[in-house]
Order: sequence, then structure tokens, then C-alpha cells
Amino acid sequence: MRARLATGGLDFVLSVCVAILALLVALIFVVAAGVSFTSGADAFVSGAFGSQLNLAGTLAKMVPLTLVALGWIVVFKAGRFHVGFPGQILVGGMFVTVVALKIHLPAGLHLPLVLVAGMAGGALYAGIAAWLWAKRGVNEILSTLLLNLIAAQLLAWWVRGPLHDHTSPLPLTPAFPNSARWPELLKNTDLHWDIVLVPIAAILISFLLARTLAGFRMRLVGSGEMIAREAGVSPERIGVRAIMLSGALAGLAGASLVAAGTTPQVGEDFGGTYGFTGIAVALLARNNALAAVPAALLFAALEQGGQTMEGTVGISSSLVDFIQGLMIVLVLAATTVLYLVRRRTTKPRAPKATAPPTPRAELEPSK
Amino acid sequence: MTHMFAAIGIGPFDTAWLAEALILTTPILLAAMGELISERAGVLNVGLEGFMLAGAFFSYLMAWKAHSLFVGVVCGIAAGMLFAVVMGLLTIEAKADQIVSGVGINLAATGLTSYLFDEIFGNQAQIVVPIIGDIKIPVLSSIPDFGPALFKNDWTLYLAFLLVPITWFLLFRTKWGLAIRASGELPSGADTAGISVRRVRWFGVLTAGALAGLAGVNLAIVQVGIFHQEMTAGRGFLALVAVIFGRWKPVGVMGACLALGGADALELRLADQNQVPTQVWGVVAGIAAALAIYYVLRSRQRRPRKVAILLSSMVALSGVVLVFAAPHVDLPDQLWRSLPFLLALIVLAGAVSRAHMPSKLTLPYTRGED
Repeated sequence: MRARLATGGLDFVLSVCVAILALLVALIFVVAAGVSFTSGADAFVSGAFGSQLNLAGTLAKMVPLTLVALGWIVVFKAGRFHVGFPGQILVGGMFVTVVALKIHLPAGLHLPLVLVAGMAGGALYAGIAAWLWAKRGVNEILSTLLLNLIAAQLLAWWVRGPLHDHTSPLPLTPAFPNSARWPELLKNTDLHWDIVLVPIAAILISFLLARTLAGFRMRLVGSGEMIAREAGVSPERIGVRAIMLSGALAGLAGASLVAAGTTPQVGEDFGGTYGFTGIAVALLARNNALAAVPAALLFAALEQGGQTMEGTVGISSSLVDFIQGLMIVLVLAATTVLYLVRRRTTKPRAPKATAPPTPRAELEPSK
Repeated sequence: MTHMFAAIGIGPFDTAWLAEALILTTPILLAAMGELISERAGVLNVGLEGFMLAGAFFSYLMAWKAHSLFVGVVCGIAAGMLFAVVMGLLTIEAKADQIVSGVGINLAATGLTSYLFDEIFGNQAQIVVPIIGDIKIPVLSSIPDFGPALFKNDWTLYLAFLLVPITWFLLFRTKWGLAIRASGELPSGADTAGISVRRVRWFGVLTAGALAGLAGVNLAIVQVGIFHQEMTAGRGFLALVAVIFGRWKPVGVMGACLALGGADALELRLADQNQVPTQVWGVVAGIAAALAIYYVLRSRQRRPRKVAILLSSMVALSGVVLVFAAPHVDLPDQLWRSLPFLLALIVLAGAVSRAHMPSKLTLPYTRGED
């Protein structure tokens, strides 16, 4: 137990170091662009947390980030990698638009149906990749990369064709009725009640993975397909389930972006970069479902701070995308450093273990 | 006969389409050849898109700054290689997961190029740099119709297609090629034979970076002379697909790239039309009929696939009906735009078996643990 705690502590220190390093790099870029160190840092902090509006924006951005990160953690634990979150967010959002605009229900029923539709859309779209992997042996990373590109075209058509608001020249859907939207938590901000999904989903996924049979099977498959097969668990079935569950989480993130967005309608770029950034969140959280929440807070602050900085000190918010990619790279590099450090600390015992067996010992079993 | 094809305006006898297809194939083919070498050595670069984007941006930037296309080309290739160095450090030295590394590199490259583009060019009108000109191959380029389409192009296009035999020779006829293939198939064996798996894989990754960088150069300062954010638009991913569909063989990969580039060119032409030309139905009917015949013929040897036969003949029949009915169908641009990706997905689902994949692809090699 103490060893586990120590490992967790080391993981925590590692993640914090990576985050600080990435933020320092960001500040170097800001300084290079001609903004002073203090005003850059100040603009970022006040941009992310300074006012009620900015803080609400940061918290609102946590929702899709956490959900996508949890989606990644689920597939990761089941030993599958897929990177289809952007596409699943978009398709989830598209399903939501249909339910929100074409079905008329009272408030108490409409929103739950919207959420179910988002999850179904994400799960079904992930299901294509899952099916291709399980039945046709198609690498799920490549198929999801392609499905992301197709989903973007699908959405572009969606908001120009079947669900286009004919009163607007822009590629947008009509505004949703209030019954299909998450109620506001703070008036006139981006913060809606969907923020409750963050703790609920994190706890549920953490519980699912750690304490249930389904979660155990996923981890079993993730630790080795051969072992799972020996134990009578089908890696294909579990893999498909894990991919579809992660798709449902991404779809729910899409539903949040649509039904708790700044504007009550959907354009072709509502997905943002959450689909990939969520992966970075999960990596920074070292694939721990509960740790995904603080990691998401950090990334949400980056997004929000980056957006406001564009207005206040004129730094392009694309810098945030770069920093997020950099964090993935740094986490991977840091993990190796950690591994090497651990190996060094256990080295004293190593020589004995690797000492070549004597020929006699080698011969003995055959007798 | 020629008259009929001229009336169609689309198809293999349309030289404008052919020229466009070759031009659009070039960046995918360049990146795919580098990726082929890298995957044969055991490293999968999901970050290929990022390498390409870095190549495109830095070639554009430096061609503008230095007023020299040569400097642009060199810097584009160097930028691709720089990102490949990060990939190599992560996956070969640190033995980190190749796929996650690639995702990180893509994100970082997209962010970095978008950010620098905003910072450097953000406040001014788009600057157009001069583009690399075409080289006319004497005699051959004066062949009517096909000559100009095939033999009046820029050097990156010629290089892309020349790389196919070069890669084949490298992989299958040289000692170094054997080392590359061994590193992807049986790294422990390669190690025993005195080959440095580490060095071979570095060579693979850097080649992928350099050629993907050149693919970016092609996009930015050969095809258009401008850069815009995320201008690679999925071509790096298409190159990854082409390597798989080409079954990790140079000629096969070239075929896959041509199919994807051709679909891309077709998309450009179809998006121009305000309704679906009847010839499209004809092509669909033809392909479906060919499939149906293939399944019928094959069912003599193996168990008949009735559903496949039924489906493909139904599609063929409805295609023929549509040719004669010529309905006014207005399909959205977005459908044509997703055509290459759809095609890539279908070929992935249809034809690939794992048997052709380098068996240690994406797996790091540690001496004594393999």
C-alpha cells in the first residue's frame, strides 16, 4: 500500500513538473512575441480565473475535456488505442441537433433525450471503427483518423443542407428550444449545469474500471489478449464494448458542447480541438480517471486563458494547441525518465537475477 | 470513340483529370515512400501529417524570408526532419508508445505552425511566393494529349515517382534494405547479426520526416505558393493508409497513392458540376458489374458469396437504370470531398490482411527483452 502511494506521489510530481515546464515554454513564446513576462503571466491567469465570466468559461471547458479524457482512459485500460474522439464529438452533436430541433418535448424529458442521442451518436460512430477492427482487422487508429475527417465533412453538409437555418446566410442550424439545453448555472456565462457530469462521470468510470466485473474484464484484456483468452474472455467483444463506451463519452461531450454552448445553435466548428486535447488530459492524468478532473481543469484554464490572451495582449490562441501537443511529448519523455530512475533504484538486486545460469543448472530439468 | 470520351469529360481519357491526379498524388506518394521505409524498419509515424505541415510552413516562411526557393526546399525538409527527431527520441530512445507520440507531434505541429503563421503573417494580406516551375522533358512532352500531362511537371513529381523503384531497390536488393526489413520483422535476429536496430530505425524515421517535409514543400511552394493553417488537410493520414493498402510494397503503395490522388482529382471535378453527371452512374454500374462477375467466377473455387453477388448485381442494375433515367440529383460537395477518405476506409476494410504487416511494427526493441 505504501509503495502504491509512493508511486502515485511520484506520478503526481511528474505531472506537475511537466505542466510547469510546458507553461514555461508557453511563456518563452509569449516573451519572444514582445510581451513582457509579468504581463503575459498576468494576462493568462486573469484570463483563466480573473473574472466570474472567465472562471465560468474555464469550468465550462472542463466538461468536454474530462469526458474525452475518460473515454481515452476506458479504451486505454482495455488495451485499445483509438483517436476518433473529434469525429465522435461531431456525430454525437449531430444526433443532438436532430433530437433538439425535430422532436418537441417538455423540458424535463427533452434534455435527457438529447443526452441519450449524443451518447448514441458517439457510440454508433465509434462502433464503425470497432466493427472494422473486430471483424475486418482494420487498425482502429487509422480508421478513426479517417472517420474524423469524414465526420467533419458530414457536419459541414449537415449545417448547410438538412438542418440549415434558412433565415441565415451562415452555415448554422436554427436555434434550439430552451427545453433541449442545459440550464445555466451562472446567469449570462458559459457555465451550465452540465458541469455536474465532471465528478459524476469521473467517479462512475473510476468505479467501473476498479470495482466491477466489466471493468475487470477490460483491464484483463488490456494486460494481455492471450491471458484474457485463456480466462474465457473474448478480447474482441470487450474491445468493441470499450471503444463504444468511449465513443458514448465523446458523444456526451459533443452533447455538452451543443446543448451548453455559448450560442444555442450549431456551426461547423463546434467541436474545437477537444477531441485531441482530451487525450493530452488523460496522459497528464497518467490514465487515472479521478486525476483526469484536475488535469482537465489545467487544460481548460489553458484554453480559456489562451482565448482571452488573444484579446488582451494579442497572442494567437493557436499557441495553446502547441503547448498541449508539447505536454503529450513531455509526459511521454518524463514517463521514460521515471522508468529509468525506478530501474536504477532497484539495481542492487539486478546482478544476481541476470547472472548466467551454470551449465549444470541448465541441464538439471531435463533429467 | 474519342468523341464519346470527350463528351464524358471525366475519366481516364481526360488528360486534364490525369494531370490533376498526378499532381495530387505527388505529396501523398512522397510521404508514403518515407513512411514505407520507416514502417519496414518498425516505426509507425502517426505524426506524418505533422511532419508534412511543418515542411509546408517552414518552406513557405523561408522561401519568403530568403527570397529563395532553394532555401525554402531545404528548410521544409529540415523542419520535417526536426519533428522526426522528436519522434525518434520518444519512440526509439525513450521507447514511448509510437501512436501517442504521433498524436502529440500532430497536435504540436498544428499548433506551432498555426501560431507562427498568425504571429508572422497574421496582420497582412496573404503573401504569395513564387512557385517552383515545371520541367519539360524534351520529345516526350510533345506527345499530343498525354505528353504535357505526364512530362511537363515540377521536379518533386518526377522525384516522387522515381522514388518508387529506388525504394524497391533499397529495400529488396541491398544489404541496408535487408537490415531495414529485419529491424521491422525480427529485431532480435537483426541485433544478433550485428545490425544496430537503433540506427536502422533512426534512418527510417528521419527518411519519413525528410520525405514528408518534402511533401509539405510540394503543397506550399510547388502547388500554390501560399500557406494556410492546416493546409495538409489529412494527406498525411492518406499516406499512412496508402502504405497499408499497398501491403508495404513500393509498387503497391504507389498504386494506392494513385487511387487516392485520382479520387482527390475526381472530387475537384465533381464538386464543380452542379448535378451528378450520368457518367458517374455508369462508372458505379461498371465497377459493381465487375465485382459481381468476380464473385461469380470465384464462387467456382470457393464457397459462393450469394449476398455479395446479389448486392453487387443490384447496384450494377440500378446504375444502368440511373444512366438512362438521368435524374437531376444534386449531391453535396462534402460528399465528394470525403471521397478519398471514404475510399481509403473501404480499401482498408476490404483487402488488408495482417500477414503483410512488419510483425514488430510499433513495438520498441530492447536488447534482451525480445
